[in-house]
Amino acid sequence: MSAGYELLGARGLAVDLNGTRILHDITLAIEPGERVAIVGPNGAGKTTLMRALSGALPAAAGEVILCSEPIQNLSRETIAHSIAVVGAGISLPFATRVDDLVALGRIPHGRGPSGASAHDRERAAAAIERVGAAHLVHRDVRTLSAGERQLVLIALGLAQETPILALDEPTAHLDLRHRMEIADLLTSLAGDETIMKTKRTIVAIFHELDLVREHFTRVLLVANGTIIGDGTPASVLTPALISAAWGISPERAARF
Amino acid sequence: MRTRRLAIGGTLLLVIVAVTAIGIGAVALTPGEVIAAIAQQFGISVGSPVSASTSSIVIELRAPRILAAIVVGAALAVAGGAFQSLLRNPLADPYVLGTSSGAALGAALAFLVPISGAAWELGGVQLAAFVGALLSVALVWRIAGIGSGEERIASVLLVGYAVASLLAAALSLVMLTSGANLRAIFGFLLGGLDGASWPRLAAAAIPAVAASLALALRGRPLAAFLLGDEAATHLGVNVQRERKIAIALASLATGAAVALAGLVGFVGLVVPHLVRLMVGPDPRAVLPLSAIGGALLLLIADTLARTIGVPVGVITALIGAPFLLWLLQRARAGYAL
Repeated sequence: MSAGYELLGARGLAVDLNGTRILHDITLAIEPGERVAIVGPNGAGKTTLMRALSGALPAAAGEVILCSEPIQNLSRETIAHSIAVVGAGISLPFATRVDDLVALGRIPHGRGPSGASAHDRERAAAAIERVGAAHLVHRDVRTLSAGERQLVLIALGLAQETPILALDEPTAHLDLRHRMEIADLLTSLAGDETIMKTKRTIVAIFHELDLVREHFTRVLLVANGTIIGDGTPASVLTPALISAAWGISPERAARF
Repeated sequence: MRTRRLAIGGTLLLVIVAVTAIGIGAVALTPGEVIAAIAQQFGISVGSPVSASTSSIVIELRAPRILAAIVVGAALAVAGGAFQSLLRNPLADPYVLGTSSGAALGAALAFLVPISGAAWELGGVQLAAFVGALLSVALVWRIAGIGSGEERIASVLLVGYAVASLLAAALSLVMLTSGANLRAIFGFLLGGLDGASWPRLAAAAIPAVAASLALALRGRPLAAFLLGDEAATHLGVNVQRERKIAIALASLATGAAVALAGLVGFVGLVVPHLVRLMVGPDPRAVLPLSAIGGALLLLIADTLARTIGVPVGVITALIGAPFLLWLLQRARAGYAL
């Protein structure tokens, strides 16, 4: 990578939803291979930040930079080749086998009117294998448990083969063991080399601060519509900042 | 691949059924005679020469109706499959935006117009049905705010239902005052291909086939819609634009089909589900195979209909409704519609 290459960042970013300012004064730069946790209280703007960084929401002020380009200059297809977003959940209108679902992650790579090619099927199968869900390929996604479903959604994002994988609350509704397994998996995925010859970058909204300390290299602490802490878990997840973000006493904050 | 094998097998079956169906009627013809008559039309002689009456029965009387069944069945199944995918609703059918009521009202009003003339005889009712169908879609489009960036899928369905109900009430009023024309209107509501002729077929087939083909070629964005708007955006799809295009194309295909055949039910609802059972939900496989399946189903239903003398819509409902119930039974057993 040449000097000055910027994988993903924001400069003075503000985002409005229905005329209300949700985010303001967001400036950040994310390097290839980082494992970034976005943490903060409910309603602080974490999901809005992720949507703005992935180009799903327009900037009201400032800009988002993706692969050294202002994101508004990039086509939806180009963005889809750079960043995959794993949503907080999925509802499917029809019975859908796991392999058929994950093959949909190949849509940005498709050409012409025909469906998933043999190569797409191969890449989808590799993604399913990578998350350890090979035993689920022929199951209907709608009959999976919450933990299995989350693995499949991560495979769907991996099949897109992007340098950045973004995940909105990948541990929501999971039990202790599954939360730990997802965190382990994300750490392991960050070690993979992507098609852009760099380590995969992970950006995930997370609530479990203990897992964030253990598994992430960097924390963005979002509160009241802006980033109030950005750095290593040890430097951001301090009693003072936790207390400020969640509005709890420093004594209680010291327990997290 | 499975999709390709099914497509080739289905097309072969469709050709065989079509040739057989042309042979069925008051004057029974063998497949050999049918093929010879068609080949002669293209200047190729196959076997013994074909009599003028045989040629006339095959080319003038039966071929337009057979082709109409194929075109209408394919267009309805493709439009139904597309609406189910883009509205993310298994109960969606081609008429979900009020097309059926709009077309019926247009046709009913046309039956009451006391004008006659060559052009009108050629397709005044069909044209009115087509315009009525597209007007109802335009109304739903406007009220639901399709393409404004604010539309919600559930509201598109509800607005479609409300507009259809309103138009159906107007249709009832027209029917009450229609007197001697009631039978003709009723015939339109039950669906039928009795009026198929070469000029009418050509007029309806061009928009129906063009729109169906264009829909099948846009299977990639439709596939992304299966995951929802947000996920489709992240897969590189311009959701607003693609939804507008898909709704417009599916409505055009439906309008043309309705103009030619009246209200033929169940083909557009059931065929795409049957195809999904075989190849999964990806519209890039579902739409082309639905076209073949819809053509087959309507061709068989119409052949039955003209043999026993009932409207084709009755036959498709008789086949389609139990089939839908069977699908729902399977839903409990694990398939899950």
